[in-house]
Amino acid sequence: MIRFDAERPVRFCDGFTRRDFLHVGALSLFGFTLSDLLAARAHGAARSNEDINCILLFLVGGPSHIDTWDPKPEAPEEVRGPFKPISTKVPGVYITEIFPKMAKHTDKFSFIRSVYHTATAVHDTGHQLMQTGRLFSGGIQYPHMGCILSYLKGSKGAIPAHVLMPRPIGPTGGNMPHGQDAGYLGRAYDPFVLNADPNDPKFKVRDLLPPDYITAVRIERRQRLRQAIDASLKNFEASPQAAQFDDAFRQAYTLMTSRQAREAFDIHKEPDSIRDRYGRTRFGQCCLLARRLIERGVRFVTINMFETVFNEVTWDIHGSRPFTDILQMKDLVAPNFDNAFSTLLEDLEERGLLKNTIVAAMGEFGRTPKINPAGGRDHHPGVWTIMIGGGPIRGGQVVGESDELGYVPKTRPVQPAEVVATILAALGLDIHHELPGPQGRPIPLVDYNIQPIRELL
Amino acid sequence: MRAARTTGLTAVVLALLLASSYGADTGSAAVSRLAVLPNPVRIWRPGTQERIVVEGVREDGTFVADLTTRAQLKIADPNIAIVQEGGIVKALAPGETTLAVSVDSMTVQVPVRVDPGPQPYVPSFRNDVIPVLTKAGCNSGACHGAAAGKGGLKLTLRGYDPMLDYHVLTRQARARRVDRREPGRSLILLKPTLTLPHGGGLRFEVGSTEYWILAEWIAAGAPAPTSKDPMPTRIAVLPEQVVLAPGDGQRFVVQAFYSDGTVRDVTRWCKFNSTELVVAEVSQDGVANVKGRGEATINATFGNLVAQATITVPFRTDLDEKLFTQAETRNFIDELVIKKLKTLGIPPSGLCSDREFIRRAYLDCTGTLPPPERVQAFVKDSSPDKREKLIAELLQSDEFVDYWSYWLSDLLLLSSAKLSRPALLAYYQWIRTAVAENMPWDEFARSIVTATGSNLENGAANYFVQHKDVVDLTETTSVTFLGTSITCARCHNHPLEKWTQDQYYRFANLFARVRLKDGKRSGEVIVYDAPDGEVRHPRRGVPMPPTPLDASPIPPDYPGTRREYLAEWMTSSDNKLFARTFVNRVWAALFGRGIVDPPDDLRATNPPANAELLDALADQFVSHGYDMRWLIQTIMSSATYQRSSVPTELNAFDVRWNSHYIPKRLAAEVLADAIAHVTGVPDTYPGYPKGTRAIQLPDVRVASYFLDVFGRPKREQPCACERMNDASIAQTLHLFNGSALNEKLRSNAGRVEKWLKEGVTLAEAIDRLYLLALARPASDAEKQALARLLGDGDEQPAKLDQPPSREQLEDLFWAVLTSKEFAFNH
Repeated sequence: MIRFDAERPVRFCDGFTRRDFLHVGALSLFGFTLSDLLAARAHGAARSNEDINCILLFLVGGPSHIDTWDPKPEAPEEVRGPFKPISTKVPGVYITEIFPKMAKHTDKFSFIRSVYHTATAVHDTGHQLMQTGRLFSGGIQYPHMGCILSYLKGSKGAIPAHVLMPRPIGPTGGNMPHGQDAGYLGRAYDPFVLNADPNDPKFKVRDLLPPDYITAVRIERRQRLRQAIDASLKNFEASPQAAQFDDAFRQAYTLMTSRQAREAFDIHKEPDSIRDRYGRTRFGQCCLLARRLIERGVRFVTINMFETVFNEVTWDIHGSRPFTDILQMKDLVAPNFDNAFSTLLEDLEERGLLKNTIVAAMGEFGRTPKINPAGGRDHHPGVWTIMIGGGPIRGGQVVGESDELGYVPKTRPVQPAEVVATILAALGLDIHHELPGPQGRPIPLVDYNIQPIRELL
Repeated sequence: MRAARTTGLTAVVLALLLASSYGADTGSAAVSRLAVLPNPVRIWRPGTQERIVVEGVREDGTFVADLTTRAQLKIADPNIAIVQEGGIVKALAPGETTLAVSVDSMTVQVPVRVDPGPQPYVPSFRNDVIPVLTKAGCNSGACHGAAAGKGGLKLTLRGYDPMLDYHVLTRQARARRVDRREPGRSLILLKPTLTLPHGGGLRFEVGSTEYWILAEWIAAGAPAPTSKDPMPTRIAVLPEQVVLAPGDGQRFVVQAFYSDGTVRDVTRWCKFNSTELVVAEVSQDGVANVKGRGEATINATFGNLVAQATITVPFRTDLDEKLFTQAETRNFIDELVIKKLKTLGIPPSGLCSDREFIRRAYLDCTGTLPPPERVQAFVKDSSPDKREKLIAELLQSDEFVDYWSYWLSDLLLLSSAKLSRPALLAYYQWIRTAVAENMPWDEFARSIVTATGSNLENGAANYFVQHKDVVDLTETTSVTFLGTSITCARCHNHPLEKWTQDQYYRFANLFARVRLKDGKRSGEVIVYDAPDGEVRHPRRGVPMPPTPLDASPIPPDYPGTRREYLAEWMTSSDNKLFARTFVNRVWAALFGRGIVDPPDDLRATNPPANAELLDALADQFVSHGYDMRWLIQTIMSSATYQRSSVPTELNAFDVRWNSHYIPKRLAAEVLADAIAHVTGVPDTYPGYPKGTRAIQLPDVRVASYFLDVFGRPKREQPCACERMNDASIAQTLHLFNGSALNEKLRSNAGRVEKWLKEGVTLAEAIDRLYLLALARPASDAEKQALARLLGDGDEQPAKLDQPPSREQLEDLFWAVLTSKEFAFNH
């Protein structure tokens, strides 16, 4: 019986052990030489040869900055909220008491307390801005940072360059795209979506391995037959949807025939002690899986802490149903984040990965300083706080500050595009390198007037 | 050059000269005369100005070049008006004169009239001050127009409530915002000019036009707006349509028509944006720059009024007209599509083959594959109207009812998430009956919106069981039936559209009296109207008069319920949105893309790819009694629908204008059913009888990984975006390794097993499979290619005249069922 799995190399009928043959064969079968293509593409875009990776923790819902990482103890009661500030490892830097573990690691990352945007105060705009650096308009959909990296640097081996987990952001009310795909770069550079919960005891990447009764040779034969059938038609030549369909076959095939990829996704190989440390939550296990993937060649991992803001306890603390209230944040959301984020930083550092892995944690906006009648806080893109560390990013800093009541930036206002520029620059990319936009129009990674945050690099 | 026909030698020479000076692109678009916009020029009072646009006009009347900067403008009587830089005519005194406009040797005389206007002129808060604040962005959603205001100042979004803004600016903040005694010390002059610190930065300079308008209004005693102020009732952008080339510029003038009969140039106070930045960009002065080819709509917004102009940039201008005049046409759809294609220089593909057509028609009309016998008979049939006959036949089939009931169930979000099983089944049955009886769409919508009684007896009443609260009803109704999302306006004025929070709660109040009570049976709910009950505006704390969007409030003596009033307005032929939304949805179902896309987003600023077509379809749909089958039949009978999906070199890039048929991946449910059909192994869905196909399921909460991964909608949000037909690795991994397809191939009860038992040869198996799945026979070359791959390399191909092994046959099935030719409708 011939089959793929992580333990044994694939054997062919003639007895040769040649998983690698199969792999190479697969690539030549589809006729692309990835390395040439990428070398050509990255020319001019990459500023250094060092591989820097990134784990982006997207805090869907929009954490209240005042209740989390920008406490306002001097503010009137209706603003300061129920949580008290605590000191952290970096003298003079305070966060609220609901993040005791993070407080011990503030030397490893920096806060930006003056991020703001001026677009409509719906979740979707913030999702776009924070992950692509731009607000979608005029028919152009911009690529996520991870997709840009994937486009410019390609994958390391068979493992996808950019993995998104557990699922893409679902509807959050604005009915707009969330900026989590490759946009104008095309579907081929979309992230690989896990579509599963790594905290599930039966977690596996669904359908990653063929059933026992289908041999490797047959899989390859099926592929070739499939191509032969489509070879005679010209109907699909101009259809991006059809090209995408073929790409998905190609990518799936590469993935399933790779031991590297299969191992990387196998979270069950992690000892229980590590799994417990990250916390047995969906988000905690996603963070662990992200570390495992980065270790094995994934360049960029995006984790959505939540999939939506409805009927789930999230950072979206409007105070009334179907949303969350401030105290639920203390009981569920904050401890989950506090533990997983802290463990991720520790674990990456212990493994020597933090020096080449950026860890960024951000929401799409802050929340209204004044507590609303329902006892919650509403959307407030006027100012909020995000965290970023690892890789070449300096830790222990606080960039910018909000005003006394947390309404607007008081010093060093930071636009979302500057955050994106900082991450892209830290990933070793030339932030004004031009990508081929729609109809061949060149579009720089970030607009020409945008610069990375120098204080952090 | 065609110009020679009428205008003689000079014109030819001139046209050639012009053609060369505007680049090769406009070669066939040579200018034959000038047009001046507006013409005549009528300025409503001295002291104001009018922007003039000089257009080069092609012989067929199309505007093809903005010649304003090259034009010489001369006013006969300089005491009445003068010309300023950039084509601005400034009025000095009442009277009549003429403006001579010349470019090279072409000259046009334009009458100019300056009306006396009100004397003396007192600046108006409503019509002078608010437009300044709007253009400067002061009352935008991101600044003081936000629901909570900014920095303590809160204005109404884009000035929709001048009375309130006046109060805020003159009474609040200890009246420091407007200082009547010392106008120069007013905060509304000091802050936006950054004379005092301003969080919003510099909005205009001291001494600018904006500055002086505000200053003069304050100096005039800051008069309040009154209900007698003239109101702008509509705006228009000139030129409305231009055909340009990359690199061209185009200025626009925006005129506002006021209730006092005056027409005013408001260009300076408009905001501009372009729907397609790759085609054209537009500055906030109303000047567009053409960047690429295609079509861009330029939106101009003045207060809450919106108007559009279209810039068309043909892909080719050197094509033989015959490519368009000789293209096949069947009905009015084709004429309008070809007209558009001709403007854009995109020649259409020819018609698809009979085999392609029958597969396409079956899939789109019934969600099923055509039976091989039917395909053969259809190909042999030589009658000229066989395609029309086939469509008519399919429209009468049970599968048509299955397919379009499912489609309507998507639209109405049928799901057991909020409905008990008996309720869901009653709702579904109601929809099925309506489809089977071809209930007119207006009656369908009316029956839902006004439904009363037991939800088990009147399935339509479940609309109110599913959408219990007023907010949900308001938003779902506007998207479902009117293609309009007003969700943003729930909490604040819609930041992108014209809808205000007041309008939202006026609309919402139409649902205020719907009530539910439990019936006697399990799952039974009684829907009825209470005699009283109001929805309160959350900020104002009072109910708003119940009013459909953009209509008048319910009259006090209206005999019916509020819902009946809503339904009457919604389905009246005056409400264009209703028919447009539906025909656009059906178009999207058949072409994979709406004329307006996304198909449930029919706002003014999201223009249709072909506005004339959308209007004509909607009008015809109304005059045919909102007949859904007529609509489907008409679209499917068009040459546009029947075009080949094989693109030509000249139209391959087109995804918007229907120059060829764009292949579309089968919907998850259709694909699942098609695989089950070809493999001969039906799926089983828990809770539903054996043999129920995916497309027959009333519910989406029926477990099926296959359906989920291939993009079955969740039916949670009224959004066409819920259905995803994009490919993903998860899908292909599932086809490679998942149980859905592999187990069907291995089954002992399926077609693979049956053919093995019958001992069919490989050649016969390929033929049968192709006919069944692809509606065509395989060519000899294809058979040989497959045999080579199924054999042991090129030297030892599998024998076509021998029965295949089980593994060979399974692999052949797998490959056909995962091919693009199978998975797409093409």
